[in-house]
Amino acid sequence: MIALNKIDREEAVRYLGNSGVEMNSTMEGILDICEEKILATAKPKYLYKTVALENSGLLVGNSISNHLENCQNAVILCATLGADIDKLIRTAQITDMAQAVVIDSMSSVAVEQICNKVEELIIAENPTLFTTWRFSPGYGDYPIELQSDFLRILDAPRKIGLCTNNNSILTPTKSVTAIIGLSETPIEQKRRGCQSCNLAKTCKFRKAGNHCGF
Amino acid sequence: MDFSKLLENEYVILDGGMGTMLQKSGLKLGDIPEVLNIENPEVVADIHRQYIEAGAQIISANTFGANGYKLKDSGYTVEEIISAGVKNAKSVAEGKALVALDIGPIGQLIEPSGAMTFQEAYEYFKEEILAGKDADVIFFETMTDLLELKAGILAAKENSCKPIVASMTFEENMRTFSGVSVGSAAITLQGLGVDAIGVNCSLGPDELAPVVKEFVKWSNIPVFVKPNAGLPDPNSNTYNVGPVDFAESMAKIAEYGTVKLMGGCCGTTPEYIKELKKALNCKKYKKATVTADTAICSGTTVCEISQPRVIGERINPTGKKLFKQALIDNDIDYILNQAISQVHAGADILDVNVGLPEIDEKEMMVKVVKALQSVVDVPLQIDSTKPDVLDAALRIYNGKPIVNSVNGEEKSLDTVLPLVKKYGASVIGLTLDKDGIPKTAEGRFEIAKKIVERAKALGISPKDVYIDCLTLTVSAEQEGCRETLKALHRVKTELGCKTCLGVSNISFGLPNRKLVNHIFLTMALEEGLDLPIINPNDVEMMGAIYAYKVLANIDKNSTAFIEKYNDAVVEKPKQTNSEITLSYAIMNGLKSEASALTEKALENTDPMDIVNNELIPALDKVGMDFEKGKIFLPQLIQSANVAQVCFEVIKKHLSQSNNAPVSKGKIILATVKGDIHDIGKNIVKVLLDNYGYTVVDLGRDVDPQAVVDTAIKQDIKMIGLSALMTTTLKSMEDTIALVRNTKELQNPDGSSKCVIFVGGAVLTEDYAMKIGADYYCKDAKESVDTAKKVLG
Repeated sequence: MIALNKIDREEAVRYLGNSGVEMNSTMEGILDICEEKILATAKPKYLYKTVALENSGLLVGNSISNHLENCQNAVILCATLGADIDKLIRTAQITDMAQAVVIDSMSSVAVEQICNKVEELIIAENPTLFTTWRFSPGYGDYPIELQSDFLRILDAPRKIGLCTNNNSILTPTKSVTAIIGLSETPIEQKRRGCQSCNLAKTCKFRKAGNHCGF
Repeated sequence: MDFSKLLENEYVILDGGMGTMLQKSGLKLGDIPEVLNIENPEVVADIHRQYIEAGAQIISANTFGANGYKLKDSGYTVEEIISAGVKNAKSVAEGKALVALDIGPIGQLIEPSGAMTFQEAYEYFKEEILAGKDADVIFFETMTDLLELKAGILAAKENSCKPIVASMTFEENMRTFSGVSVGSAAITLQGLGVDAIGVNCSLGPDELAPVVKEFVKWSNIPVFVKPNAGLPDPNSNTYNVGPVDFAESMAKIAEYGTVKLMGGCCGTTPEYIKELKKALNCKKYKKATVTADTAICSGTTVCEISQPRVIGERINPTGKKLFKQALIDNDIDYILNQAISQVHAGADILDVNVGLPEIDEKEMMVKVVKALQSVVDVPLQIDSTKPDVLDAALRIYNGKPIVNSVNGEEKSLDTVLPLVKKYGASVIGLTLDKDGIPKTAEGRFEIAKKIVERAKALGISPKDVYIDCLTLTVSAEQEGCRETLKALHRVKTELGCKTCLGVSNISFGLPNRKLVNHIFLTMALEEGLDLPIINPNDVEMMGAIYAYKVLANIDKNSTAFIEKYNDAVVEKPKQTNSEITLSYAIMNGLKSEASALTEKALENTDPMDIVNNELIPALDKVGMDFEKGKIFLPQLIQSANVAQVCFEVIKKHLSQSNNAPVSKGKIILATVKGDIHDIGKNIVKVLLDNYGYTVVDLGRDVDPQAVVDTAIKQDIKMIGLSALMTTTLKSMEDTIALVRNTKELQNPDGSSKCVIFVGGAVLTEDYAMKIGADYYCKDAKESVDTAKKVLG
């Protein structure tokens, strides 16, 4: 079972759009409190499954076809921190908005950390195969609507309580779906850059025509 | 044969997994299994047949996921799939077994975790229930959200007369994914009048045993158990408990008593059912005694009335200027703050009263109950004199609430008690009737008796009637106090009811009211008061309760008392360091200091001077630091929060001196339809509040029409909209279009009266202009700048 025991603060600050601000003790204090709350509240759960790509209906658009070039199979995965985190964020919005935004961004980081660990499991379970990095519906031209197909294949609503709504928003909200290609031949490492970043569509740097250098 | 006849058997054998069997027959992962009812009914029928041969007395039709949401792309209607599924099962059952209409979760989360409303869930379930009218019984299975299940049960009760079985899925931590506890499920579902309750799926029989035991503790009706065949191997999807071991474990579970309906879920096959039947063959059913006391609950938390429990009285506009204003302004956050602070102070239950002539009480009550349940776990007491308000709130309440209240008048008994029965609530019974409050204890006892009898006649247990013998003001009627306590004692001992009392009325008109309240509370507790209705923020009153519980030998080893008071930090008198200025406090997030400094400044400074010369400049400075990248976003917000506290102090001061608080203008904020990410909007709200604007916050997932209606009704010229997802930008566009196209919001020349500013992660300036917004704000700070530009 994957556990969450530390949250990447630098990444959380990046999610807040505050990369480059010099750390100070006030902010450290807020981060400490929020991290503690998240670790006490999150109930990380995940699922993954290897699927054959041919006729799977999963290759929609150029981005994913490009990403999974030369892959016959892929692993689809999902992860969530559970519904209690949403409640924690809601409550913090009433009692302490500053904490609420930090809990929000730290939780987004935390669920990615869970995904990183799931990815490690997948790599370990496929020692003879080469893997792509994980790609999520909503990246590039890969339709976000496919999230519901991912969840159905994984039986996620029943097994871990992860659903989407009519607008393809994952609920609980601190959740991720993704796909990792499996190939028998080495994979040309495509540029990760902004395309694979969760913030690609929301990034303040990109809106200003720059990038964060990550 | 019907369901009630079947229950006369020692045990009722159910079937096993359907999905498992269908996969064996070649169903592909991700395919919709219910479509087979039409495309390959023989495969399904064959599985039913095998289960009946194995001994199943009720088979579940293949309808688990056949709802309008999951079937929307299947090419079939709910009616087609369900009626085919039920028909198929019936043709095999042929009197040898009953057929259950099997209903699973809709597949998207209900509010507040998701965006599906209670009514939407109700409609989905209703469609299924009408389509499955030929089934013998309705099974709700694998449910994880109690409120969604409640919508299903109400849909069943209101559209069918078939018996209902309600089963939820629990994890090893004894909770469902949405946090529902076994006790909450058991109490709520029995209250709603289902015929059996229980648990299915998720774990094997041994792992589910503690869950079943807990169900038995709370259940007066048969318990239903359908475990998986153990735990699955994630790769092979095979389960680790075989048929014989499964049956053996189930036989052990039957020993708990009350467990009557047993079968299997994922991974189980006809072989398991055959073994189960064998194992239960010569066993005798017994009903276990319910060990729990009367209780109420929220979806997550049970409050057993086995000792004094505090009902917090603060959510009530009576005599509270700021609360009234909050209701008029639709300021739900104000109410939520009141709730959270009462819970922190130790309230076990919160009374909710939002009655005010100026507002639509029903709409407000529903909104407040939903909002409260999204942030606090304690159960609620729905307080209104209007039956339609009670009805609306009881319907969407998650759990088993208390209704406040019924009294001895015929009209009250006739309108309130049926609602209490229908929604399975508890109720406060006031000992008064058309002639008022009887002077004597005897008179009040008689009314209590009448209420209890009338409740009983409707099937409401006396244990669910909490009698209020009514506190009278001792300065007006000094002999009344004794009568109240005498009546309370009799109700408790002779009628076996729990009792409640509003405490603070006792001291009206006397000096040192706190002392009188405090002593009266202690006297009442000793007479058997279970539910004092008090202000939990009153430290002495709460202290009396903690101390009473020690002296009455309820708080064993004084654990709770010691925990509460051992390390209690003696509250420091509000003293301000003379070095600290108000702007320093704001810039460094020092809330209590800032509040004290504001109070001090008000002694000799004009309130508006404090705002304009201290608060606003300090906020501007913080805003500048943020823009320059010197501080983090949370620090900006923290400063804004501190400033907010200062504003509250000033507002309070102004309202005491009867000066209306000064507002720079009203602004509507809303997160658009379909979007549930509202944190950005809430940051904007905090900042706008601080700069003196009155924010009318419509919340998240807001219908375009609601924005328009509010703008018209309150004559608001500035509207802020947010959306986080690309998928909900369309809603933003629709909302803007509706505002622009509404006649009432146009000037005579056809131009728009409203200025619309938009923001949100996926938005860009270009896109904002394209969809017709007036301003694009990249962050909360820019929203304030825009408001300054537009409203001044």
